[in-house]
Amino acid sequence: MARFEERGPRFPTVQPVRVDKIHPRAQALRRIVALIAVVVTIIILLPVFVMGISAFKTRADVMSSPPKVLFRPTLEGFMLLLTERAVVSPARLEELQETAKEGKLSLFERLALDAGMEITGPSAYVFRLRNSVIIAGISTIASVVLGLFAAYAFSRFRLRGKDDLLFFILSTRMLPAVVVTIPLFLMYRQLGLHDKHLGMIILYTVFNLSFSVWLLKGFIDEIPKEYEEAALVDGYTRLQAFFRIVLPQAASGIAATTVFCLIFAWNEYAFALMLTSQRARTAPPSIATMMGRGGIEWSAIAAGSLGFLIPVVIVTFALRKYLLRGITFGAIRG
Amino acid sequence: MPSTHVQGISPAASPIGQARRHLSDRSIQNLFIWPTLLLLIAVNLFPLLYSLYLSFTNFLAVQNKPPVWVGLSNFGTILHTPEMWHYFATTGRYALMSVGLQTVIGFGLAMLVRRKFFGSGLITTLILVPMMISPVVVGMFWKMIYNPNFGFFNFLLGAGHAGKGVDMLASKFFGQSTPGLALIAVAIVDVWQWSPFVMLLVLSGLNAIPEYLYEAAAIDRASPWFQFRRITLPQVAPLLLIAVLFRTIEAFKSFDLVMGMTGGGPGDQTELIAVNLYRQAFLGTFKTGFSSALAYIILIIIIAASNMYIKYLNQIKGEA
Amino acid sequence: MATIELSKVEKKFGDLHAVKPLDLTINDGEFVVLLGPSGCGKTTTLRMISGLEAVTGGRILLNGKEVTWKHPSERDLAFVFQFYALYSHLSVRQNIAFPLQAQGMKREAIDKRVNEVVDILRIRHLLRLRPGKLAGGDQQRVALARALVRRPAAFLMDEPLGALDAELRESMRAEIKNLHIAQHATTVYVTHDQIEAMAMGDRIVVMSKAEVQQVGTPVDVYYNPSNLFVARFIGSPGMNLVKGKFSGGAVRMAGNDRYEVPPAWHKPLANSLDGRDEVILGFRPEAARVTPDGSMAGEVYATDMHGGHTVLHVNIFEGEMVHIRSDRQNTYPMGTPIRFAIDPEMVRFFNPRTEAAVRREAAR
Repeated sequence: MARFEERGPRFPTVQPVRVDKIHPRAQALRRIVALIAVVVTIIILLPVFVMGISAFKTRADVMSSPPKVLFRPTLEGFMLLLTERAVVSPARLEELQETAKEGKLSLFERLALDAGMEITGPSAYVFRLRNSVIIAGISTIASVVLGLFAAYAFSRFRLRGKDDLLFFILSTRMLPAVVVTIPLFLMYRQLGLHDKHLGMIILYTVFNLSFSVWLLKGFIDEIPKEYEEAALVDGYTRLQAFFRIVLPQAASGIAATTVFCLIFAWNEYAFALMLTSQRARTAPPSIATMMGRGGIEWSAIAAGSLGFLIPVVIVTFALRKYLLRGITFGAIRG
Repeated sequence: MPSTHVQGISPAASPIGQARRHLSDRSIQNLFIWPTLLLLIAVNLFPLLYSLYLSFTNFLAVQNKPPVWVGLSNFGTILHTPEMWHYFATTGRYALMSVGLQTVIGFGLAMLVRRKFFGSGLITTLILVPMMISPVVVGMFWKMIYNPNFGFFNFLLGAGHAGKGVDMLASKFFGQSTPGLALIAVAIVDVWQWSPFVMLLVLSGLNAIPEYLYEAAAIDRASPWFQFRRITLPQVAPLLLIAVLFRTIEAFKSFDLVMGMTGGGPGDQTELIAVNLYRQAFLGTFKTGFSSALAYIILIIIIAASNMYIKYLNQIKGEA
Repeated sequence: MATIELSKVEKKFGDLHAVKPLDLTINDGEFVVLLGPSGCGKTTTLRMISGLEAVTGGRILLNGKEVTWKHPSERDLAFVFQFYALYSHLSVRQNIAFPLQAQGMKREAIDKRVNEVVDILRIRHLLRLRPGKLAGGDQQRVALARALVRRPAAFLMDEPLGALDAELRESMRAEIKNLHIAQHATTVYVTHDQIEAMAMGDRIVVMSKAEVQQVGTPVDVYYNPSNLFVARFIGSPGMNLVKGKFSGGAVRMAGNDRYEVPPAWHKPLANSLDGRDEVILGFRPEAARVTPDGSMAGEVYATDMHGGHTVLHVNIFEGEMVHIRSDRQNTYPMGTPIRFAIDPEMVRFFNPRTEAAVRREAAR
């Protein structure tokens, strides 16, 4: 554009920029790119959004064809997900309706009433959710703590066969779940660990260990050894140096690793499917089996999916800086 | 730092002041590493070896009879069963489609958000969301989206009404049975979920390219396409390759997503090898010995691929 | 080849002045050095000339034609970066050929040019290697080759020797200067190293805090610095600057030192001090001579042995340290009182409030 080349930009530049980058054409291009990025993001998030709103639709709305964009929101899906219900006799129905008029029924109870049912207690899903929290929580703590110690040792000490050990640790991550599950299933059956919380906790801990050792080693490697050496010269023992110096500095790395391990343990499906049945089953295998009166209870599934992914999304956002670093770390550093 | 360097600093010199007995470096080393190693050996190594043993037997987990040695007959059966080859082929096709698309889309996404603009950080994080969701959950709600009656996918295609139109997961295209459609549907979901991963890797590679390379090229009159071809692409290629290798290995192990969406159907159109393995080992007759053999074959394939991956990684690290 | 003209060229970031309006003409075949401490605006100025940085005011002309808003590639300038900017995935040969390929030159023409350039810089033996495998000096030569191969109107160099060690820097300095002479190339060179500037430049543009302090030949800036900054910055060590009061034809300093001002300076001083008597006396280390009947007195604080000569750190009174060059190979013990004289031809004076130098011919 000849005009630009003679006169320059119409508005002054504030940032360091190359001449060709403030050319109006370049600026227009940048704006278009930004626009496309926004559109693409919306398209990518569309399925999540669709699923999200389905969680708030009534049974009928969820299955309406064509799909409804505007609808009356309800917590029916959550009610179906989280409660056990029984059909009530007409007499009981009247009784409950009386209580409802007095305003003594909870929201879920009222929703159940609308469907002609009474709540008899929390559903199996609630129980499974609780298992998820327990198992994911404990195994994450275990894998981070153990991984931290091991990572420190790998980082600071010269060990025989260190590289081989590290490779071994990494390779466990490469295994397909099914390969390990078959023998594990047998082992656990023998040891009485099948369908027990302890069994799942141990398993998740081990699988997360391979990841946490690598990740934490990467973080600890970046802390200059001089700090500990100075402390050692000053008379601290290595343990003290570890707790007082390395740990605080590795805090962000520990946070990132915790998040990753939590996400893995929380989302894990294959092992949970194969190694548990009733008592220790976590949420992911059960989301798929929300059976209702007429078949698959879609609004419950949507509610379950939404509820299940909200914690993960929140955590992702809160710690996005570390996640970015962690993923590239994991892939590049091996 | 040599581990024998600092040993036995006298407790009296410790600023903490107490005459506490302290641990030597050697014991700390052991204390720190062995728990991890033991766990890994018990839960990973040992089952692997046990599995190897089982693959040579005809053990059935439902029976209480002890395993009987059958040598290589399990492996032979697998290699001679056409269905098995079919499942491997299906998995291969799936991996090709999925990884290929992921790479292209992921690269495109990275190029889009590469230069900072208002909200680009937020957008990058938002694009990560699909990756963070449990694959089985993803499978479930995409199943809902693909539903021929009330699913959003058909609605967008304009083929929403019951009975007519497209049923991706049943491989029916406007009433015609189109085998392979279900596999494509699953591949699409995989691409949706994992393109952000490729984007992240490529993005970190793009950001690592020093700006002065582009400045030099600008002064040398290189056109934007020339710069892309001769600077951007070659500099990012190593990372891209890593992403491709990693995702290919994962595609081979793919289980959760398929189980959430189709369970292997319709028929065996989406029966990926890992899914079949599960079926053989945990459903029906619990053919433990046989499925261990299959598991080992899969494992060998994956180890071969992982070796390539790691060798390549080391090559990159060596050059860096 | 080329003349470059900067007319009131300015760069602001918001309210921050990175480069205050600057006028400069670089003549055809000249080697001009932009010299100054980091942050003074020299690199920004260079980048504005190249187009890598857009000006916020002023005009840039190349051979009389306005190029202020032209794409960097349209200006026919070559840029040598501090960190070489070589493509790690290409061989040396491919790196050098890159600019010509970008312009769509034919294979044979490219090969011909590359061959010429490679012999000039003596890097023929490196052609097959990747930049990552080369030593710093060789990498820099490759960067120079890449600039040279384009036969541009002028060369712009941004601290090209900054990443090299001291010894290599010296030899590369000579190489670059020789290259410049052989090619009759107009060159604009940025550095913070005043030794480099003095050794290489036909003219030096001394900059500080976004402003030009002085433009002149090395001799000019050395012997006639136009202000305190230039006086201090040029020379190692820089010029000695002592505060005093001028009255009755002499400068009185603290500690009873008294310096008789040469007659030629009386009138200029009287006119240039704005009616006050505060003045700054300046002299280079080699302008002072240790002598028992010198007019200045001091105490030796330290001696730097430089082999052929020594530099004495002399305390002349509370808080004022000066450097004096001596030919003595002996060292003075700390605390030795000495006297020294200042060569009347080499003494200089500065106005403490404007920081400007007092000109000997200052008429008022």
